[in-house]
Amino acid sequence: MAHCKPFRPSRRSFLAGTGAVAAGLTFLPKAGFSAEEKVVNFYNWDTYIGETTLDDFKGASGIEVNMDLFADNAELFAKLKEGNPGYDVIVPSNDYVERMVAANMLMKLDHSKIPNIANIDLAFMNPNHDPGRVYSLPYMWGTIGIGYRKSRVDGVPDSWKWLYESDQYAGKIALLGTPSTVIQIACKYLGYPLNESDPAKLEKAADLIIKQKPSIKVFADDNGQDLLLSGEVDLTMEWNGDILQVMAEDDDISYVVPKEGGLLWEDTLAIPTGAPHPENAHAFMNYVLDAEAGAAIADFIQYATPNAAAKALMDKSYTENPAIFPPDETVKNSEVAIYQGPEYSQLIDRLWTKINAA
Amino acid sequence: MEDWRRTPLVFWVTSLPPTLWLVVFFLIPLALVWVMSFGELDGLIDIKITGTLANYARALDPLYLEVFGKSLVFAGFTTVISLLVGFPVALAIVFASPRWRPILLLLVILPFWTNLLIRTYALIAVLRVRGFANFSLEWLWDQGNTVLALMGLGSYQLLGDRFEPLELLYNNTAVVIGLVYVHMPFMILPLYAALERLDRSLIEAALDLGASQFRAFLTVVVPLALPGIISGGILVFIPALGSFLTPDLLGGTDSQMIANVIERQFKGANDWPFGAALSFLLMYLTFAALTVRALVNRRAERRGGA
Amino acid sequence: MNLAALFRHREPIGPLEYTRRTWMRLTLLATFVFLYAPIVTLVAFSFNDSRRNIVWRGFSLKYYEKALANDGLIEAFVNSLTIAFVQTIIATILGALTALLLWRFRFPFRGGYEGAMALPIVIPEICMGVAMLAFFSRVGWPTDLPWPLNLSAITIAHVSFSFPFVAVVVRARLEGFNREFSEAAQDLGASEWQVFRDVMVPFMRPGLVAGALLAFTLSLDDFVITFFTSGPDTVTFPVKVYSMVRFSVTPEVNAASTVLIALTVVLTVLALWLQSRAKLKPEEVAG
Repeated sequence: MAHCKPFRPSRRSFLAGTGAVAAGLTFLPKAGFSAEEKVVNFYNWDTYIGETTLDDFKGASGIEVNMDLFADNAELFAKLKEGNPGYDVIVPSNDYVERMVAANMLMKLDHSKIPNIANIDLAFMNPNHDPGRVYSLPYMWGTIGIGYRKSRVDGVPDSWKWLYESDQYAGKIALLGTPSTVIQIACKYLGYPLNESDPAKLEKAADLIIKQKPSIKVFADDNGQDLLLSGEVDLTMEWNGDILQVMAEDDDISYVVPKEGGLLWEDTLAIPTGAPHPENAHAFMNYVLDAEAGAAIADFIQYATPNAAAKALMDKSYTENPAIFPPDETVKNSEVAIYQGPEYSQLIDRLWTKINAA
Repeated sequence: MEDWRRTPLVFWVTSLPPTLWLVVFFLIPLALVWVMSFGELDGLIDIKITGTLANYARALDPLYLEVFGKSLVFAGFTTVISLLVGFPVALAIVFASPRWRPILLLLVILPFWTNLLIRTYALIAVLRVRGFANFSLEWLWDQGNTVLALMGLGSYQLLGDRFEPLELLYNNTAVVIGLVYVHMPFMILPLYAALERLDRSLIEAALDLGASQFRAFLTVVVPLALPGIISGGILVFIPALGSFLTPDLLGGTDSQMIANVIERQFKGANDWPFGAALSFLLMYLTFAALTVRALVNRRAERRGGA
Repeated sequence: MNLAALFRHREPIGPLEYTRRTWMRLTLLATFVFLYAPIVTLVAFSFNDSRRNIVWRGFSLKYYEKALANDGLIEAFVNSLTIAFVQTIIATILGALTALLLWRFRFPFRGGYEGAMALPIVIPEICMGVAMLAFFSRVGWPTDLPWPLNLSAITIAHVSFSFPFVAVVVRARLEGFNREFSEAAQDLGASEWQVFRDVMVPFMRPGLVAGALLAFTLSLDDFVITFFTSGPDTVTFPVKVYSMVRFSVTPEVNAASTVLIALTVVLTVLALWLQSRAKLKPEEVAG
């Protein structure tokens, strides 16, 4: 075995593929009218779709949505790496879209089958991670900032300093457990670009975190908001949507993106290579980008939608919420993570091991 | 033990099913990963098998060796504590009346039919600052103060002037507690299986001959339980060595174990060859430990036989 | 002749009644509190009227309704139980055979064989998960079979990691077997099969039960290896729950777990009851 070629199209995806080609040749691309069985396998994050979206879609198109959940991008990537086990629509974040495109894991989209692309805010139509939106369409976006308990913190902790270089809240601080994010934001705090790739500077960022370790209680794996709510910590680095959910339960909690700027992210809808039902996948994506449907989703999950038509249907409590749509100034200071190749990933992982072992 | 040639038919009937299964559904898949550990990343998903030893060289970096060492310490503590806690439980089950025995056995195993992750989160709910362990301690503290006040000692603040909740989570102790919690049945079940055949008349004889309960326990029960202790020890130590969820969820900023590093290689870092090399190092290490045990065993047997 | 009767214990007497001693009872109590405090918390919070498991907001059954109406969750439930059941049977048989083999025979490369059998216990879960992922995708294992055949890949992976555990437990039990019994039986004219059925299996029974319980537990709880072998149609309970609780443990997950606990208790009690009834018969004959 000289060369492992991980992906072998299974019999199933091959048949589906020929079916799709046949469908494309014989039928006009009309949603819900194809040779495919009326199913679409949707691989999504938990509580990341409208309460009735899947049923509504079935009512409109007759296609049944079979939703399965993943917990993080790394997991999604690892699972699809050796071949697509049968998913049609996935929801990777921006840097993973780059990764998956580089690894030939995403299918090119047929924009003509998704007329609702017209609903998307033009600002989202030509991002660095997918120029021209060839492989992915924006689903939701947001920031990473600081969630905090107002009564236990002096004023608004609007600097990363409170997490990275201060012992004022020692033992009451949680950072995220995602190695790249924690190191990238340390870079940001040190005044480097978020996507700094100079090993010496990254090393400095790691040293900053190691020095701060006695004050950090935990690198929380996606449950910082629970730690905040249960009083285990008073400040936590988190995704805005997660903090927003606990803000609804506890008035004493708030969210801020520090003045140095934070990390901007975008989750996308994409079709993995080898998807058995690509026609249905297009139809489903089109439905999610519909104004009404998009508004229903945004209303339920409370993340910022890039869908301008959907946003127009929402009321002010959503569109003017600074924790959902941060001020322009914040957005300007913030940056998007870029996928920087395997060597960068290896370096980050080594630094993370070092941080944890120190 | 008999030579396999004496009853070849029985030998083949006994050995073929497990051997075939192991080879086809375990060793071949494993070989795929083993080969990977001698490979290099070629782009994002392809791995070129070049026969390189670079992955192993990287894994022997002191940074990773330190993590290996720490994992050994965690697993060692977990095994010893599980044994200390599990032994009385196994003994109690063995000595319980036949009617109670299956019920106690069921009670031991029952919590483990709840998903590990859910159980770990439930453990968090018990141990956290505003959790039930601390609520109970606070209640005891209140009661203690009331008692002191009744005794006229109320104004001395003997128990401190206010209750300070214990930080039970997000440190290395929490990881060991969590690991013990997770691996307990792996200790209790083999102990039970070994002790179940305990011949009570032996203990009775020891007691009749004037041995104390403790001495009878040490000289009669423990040697009889030894196979159970050893297999329980293996079943706890090894999985504990390879756990990543528990340190991930209960640990603090310095509770990383080797399996956490391995997990990251297969996920976020996307460095499968390195992850494979680390995995195999971990396996070689465990094998070394098992070999040492076998050697010690053999020597003990020889001494016992002489 | 009933050899099992030879191994039956006499009724316990005073000094050996450890279970009646206070220190023993306290140790037991403490251990069970440790084991059950989290479970009690879990069950209690399944009735909580809040989206999170942190503050008590009053009694509610709505999360049970929600969990039971969640088709995906129910499907995962059924998948998990099916896999656990089937794989436990296979793993117990294979594990018992392995234990017998290693206990009884001397054969070439025995040490190496023993080592290879320990591998599934030794291997880090994630490594085994990746190995299974690579294996099943390379051999082109069909993923579109009808239920329950589509669970075959997961079931196979589960058997692979759990049968060596069974072997370890059963072997610990066999260590205490007096070979003279089987030899005596053979001298009396019993065939291999009869010895196996009437002497070995009854003697191994506690080991088999313990091993099977362990295998069942391992299977029901496995997330990592299952994650890598499951597809969109073969989600198991841990895989489903894992993705749900990564963000926050909702009472819905607690409710589902509570139902799972209740269900397994009922099934096990039923099995124990059936077994005790089945066991009564030969003993009546012997008595």
